Amino acid sequence: MSAFELVTPRSVEEAIASLRASDGTGSAPLAGGTDLLLDIDDGRAAPARVVSLRRLPWRTLDWVGGALTIGSTLPLRSLEDDPGVRAQLPGLYQAVHAVGSVALRHRATIGGNLGRSAPASDLIPMLLALDAEVDLVGPSAERRLSVNDFVRASRRTALAPGELIRSVRVPESRPSAYVWQRVRLANDISQIAVAVAYSPSGRRWSVAVGGMPPRPVLLPEVARGLGNARPTDPALRAAGERATREVTIAADQRASEEYRRRLVGTLLGRAVRSVDVAEGVHR
Amino acid sequence: MSAATRSDLAVKLAGGAIYGTDLDLPGMRWAALVPSPVAHGRVRSVDLAPARRLPGVVAIGAEDLPSLLPGSGDADRPIFPTREVLYRNQPLAAVAASTLPEARRAAAAVRVDIEPLPAVIDLESVFPDWPGAEADRSPHVIAHVHARHGEIEAAFRSADRVVEETYRTASVHQVALEPHACVASVTGDRWYVRTSTQTPFGIREDVASLLGVPEERVVVDGTWVGGGFGGKGSSLLEPFALLLSRAADRPVRLALDYRQEFELGRTTLPAVIRLATAVRGARIVGRRVRLLLDVGSSLPGRDFATGYSIGFLLGPYRTDAFEVEGYGVRTNKPPFGPHRAPFAPQCAFAVESHLAEVARSVGVDPDAFRADHLWHEGDSTALGQRVGPFGLPSALEQARATAARWRAERPPGRGVGIGMGFWSTGTGAGGEVRLVLTPTELRIVQGEREIGSGSVLRGLVVVAERALGIPSDRVRVEYLSTAEAPYDSGVFGSRTVGALGRAILEASASLGATLAERLGEAGPVRLELTGGELIAVARSVRRPVRELLSPGELSVGLVANGRHFADPRKIDDSRVVTGSFYPYTDFTGAAHVAEVSVDRETGAVRVERYAAFHDAGAVVDPGTARASVEGGIAMGLGIALTEEALWSDDGRFLNAHLLDYRIPTLGEVPVPDVTFVEGFPGAGPFGAKGLGEPPIIPVPAAIAAAIRDASGAHVTELPISAERVARALKLL
Repeated sequence: MSAFELVTPRSVEEAIASLRASDGTGSAPLAGGTDLLLDIDDGRAAPARVVSLRRLPWRTLDWVGGALTIGSTLPLRSLEDDPGVRAQLPGLYQAVHAVGSVALRHRATIGGNLGRSAPASDLIPMLLALDAEVDLVGPSAERRLSVNDFVRASRRTALAPGELIRSVRVPESRPSAYVWQRVRLANDISQIAVAVAYSPSGRRWSVAVGGMPPRPVLLPEVARGLGNARPTDPALRAAGERATREVTIAADQRASEEYRRRLVGTLLGRAVRSVDVAEGVHR
Repeated sequence: MSAATRSDLAVKLAGGAIYGTDLDLPGMRWAALVPSPVAHGRVRSVDLAPARRLPGVVAIGAEDLPSLLPGSGDADRPIFPTREVLYRNQPLAAVAASTLPEARRAAAAVRVDIEPLPAVIDLESVFPDWPGAEADRSPHVIAHVHARHGEIEAAFRSADRVVEETYRTASVHQVALEPHACVASVTGDRWYVRTSTQTPFGIREDVASLLGVPEERVVVDGTWVGGGFGGKGSSLLEPFALLLSRAADRPVRLALDYRQEFELGRTTLPAVIRLATAVRGARIVGRRVRLLLDVGSSLPGRDFATGYSIGFLLGPYRTDAFEVEGYGVRTNKPPFGPHRAPFAPQCAFAVESHLAEVARSVGVDPDAFRADHLWHEGDSTALGQRVGPFGLPSALEQARATAARWRAERPPGRGVGIGMGFWSTGTGAGGEVRLVLTPTELRIVQGEREIGSGSVLRGLVVVAERALGIPSDRVRVEYLSTAEAPYDSGVFGSRTVGALGRAILEASASLGATLAERLGEAGPVRLELTGGELIAVARSVRRPVRELLSPGELSVGLVANGRHFADPRKIDDSRVVTGSFYPYTDFTGAAHVAEVSVDRETGAVRVERYAAFHDAGAVVDPGTARASVEGGIAMGLGIALTEEALWSDDGRFLNAHLLDYRIPTLGEVPVPDVTFVEGFPGAGPFGAKGLGEPPIIPVPAAIAAAIRDASGAHVTELPISAERVARALKLL
């Protein structure tokens, strides 16, 4: 573990300036610290300066119509405890609930999860399926990117130097589900996970797969195969087979390529069957 | 027992218990080890100069040993390797500095030049086929055990059926919450080390031999131990800390972080088990049992594992004709270390699963088949030892009744299975205690530390409480260093209550006799509490202890000593072809019932219900006994389902992290029903038998049987991951 300077700015401007000031030696924003501090401890990261975001006014949760804006430093536990999230975005609730443990979720944040962009992130597949966007603030301008464009690869994002995630925006309430396979109920990461969401406005499905390197991915062709309402069993089976064929699957310590491939269709079927499409259609 | 009666609860909950990782002495330096970057290699040079140039750093390597060691050391076990490195992260040198980051920087500055040699990591690459006659000449074989009895060839020739199977088991780590940690302080010729250990006297002996010092100059002091499970039974860090302290002329602290705990700790390593069973009708007529055990870089003559483990592949079943053969095979991994009931859960998994398959092959119910062949009191083990009072047949009977009830109630997709195992209450060499009676309390003066199971601070207290009738809150355990305490061989082998408890019993009897004599009354003496004073009572005579003690005793207490050393035991040598086998004694056993659900699409297993039936002899303390069983089941579920150390081809421990090395959490462990099968007394106090290790033994076998019952999946490899179940179900 390397030593670092910890700064705790009181404003967004100051935070951005702090991040930039040490660009030559490396700086890292700190939210809940549940991922960054492990990397520092293990020597995988060695920032000279760590910029704590705890004093920034971003622990927010705002519903406007059916759209949800989540402040980037809001602890995941607050998101999980929100009755609106549970009712309007059941898949997001399930994905948040899948992260670590209760204790960890009291610290971990959605901004940290996106910013650290772990290949096994539980939130990213669900945010992909919900067509979520991230609002970034930086030294020169603010910008909005889709989560799909924001996440580049394993541990790589579109964040520019000095840029921070201010919030994450989910455009509409969607019947949705997040289904995973893992060894333990808590304190574990998924071997493979499938996120599905149904858009009542667009009458279409989105499907994303996560849990393995290099990053969670959307499967638009598979989603199209699910049609524009509750799919028939043959359509669902065909979508599962398509997913099994099309997903690029990696092997690692947690599971073999073969096992993951076998599970894609199964988990997709379970996820789609658990979504109450009608509820969304009539809302 | 309610939890509140554990006398360590208050100090532990308040954070006042000093563990190895809390140790801090004035002026202390922090140490770090210099790890070998390869799993096998020839040492060309280890250059400490760059580390020594850093301010305040003391560094020691092989070249410094002659000037630091008081004696010649142990030639077979050099502190630092001078020629050959045998496993990755093997310490090549050690450094001390004012802070831990400085020590780590200094360790990283050491220039290591090692010529890599081909490393042998995979056990099965050593003997792709089974070892033949050439094995005894192989540099990889450090232990060979072989025994046989009866007309084995004839039995296999005349059999109706022969079932042959191969089982594989994984490397598992103890995962004690507290990693290894110690502080050493060498002053003059006193080599003092305070360390988190299960065996203070064992460490003393080991350190003295490694350093070449007389044992009495080494002083080992214990701490509260944050779990041992076999991993803290021999020296690991102490020699380095002691030598650094000598070199730095300061106290030196050396502790592992958790990654190092995985990499350097002594784990159980993989094994291959081959079983062949010959059956005529529904009777076993012959058994062939073969074991290939990875012992890592254990040294020849220091492999306890092979001869000890292999007996678990024969019992607890009657066998007229058998042949058993095992090899301890060296690989470039750290030396093999014991893990709660060393290798017995893995053996039970193989034997129980195999005999169930044998039973099915001849159309017999697996549980009935095992019951028919089980040892009963008076039977002889394969190696000719007599089985004493043995509650396993009764435990199995009760387990079968529970299994039948659960099978009748179970929802679809669930299965119920039974697994069994036996154990032998350990004795160690033996031990001594000193009881000190004052007018207000009884002190148990001894050399062990409480490692978390309750066997010392609760088990020993209960024995004194029952022997003398004294209220347990008037009994205090005193923990002394090896310089002051009576000798004991350690907290391992489920021996503490059974062996050291007998020393307490003897000391109690002697104390009682002295008090009876002073009371002028024959017969047993009880110590009652009245108004804060202990009163000695024999029949109708009652007198305060204060009045029975001489003036001298009033200041130092009335002292009584007790000792218990192991009785000699023998196996039938006429059955041994070669090697040494462990003579088990004071047999215990357990039958466990598991109910699991198996996801037929993913292979995922969930443990739904669990029941354990244990012969623990006479249970001396039901609360502690129950806790031991619950903990053993939780640990056993890890071996059964999730735990597996992964080693890369070049000897790296790939998942040296508690996220990636998965022990079960409360989410995976059901609250078990625990039943003690009484009426089968052991040799311990009041008929107690050991219970530290037996609870872990039947777990993988019970889980495997339940998975087989639920889904038909017959998995022959531990851990039984969802992926392995999926393969057995032909999903992949």
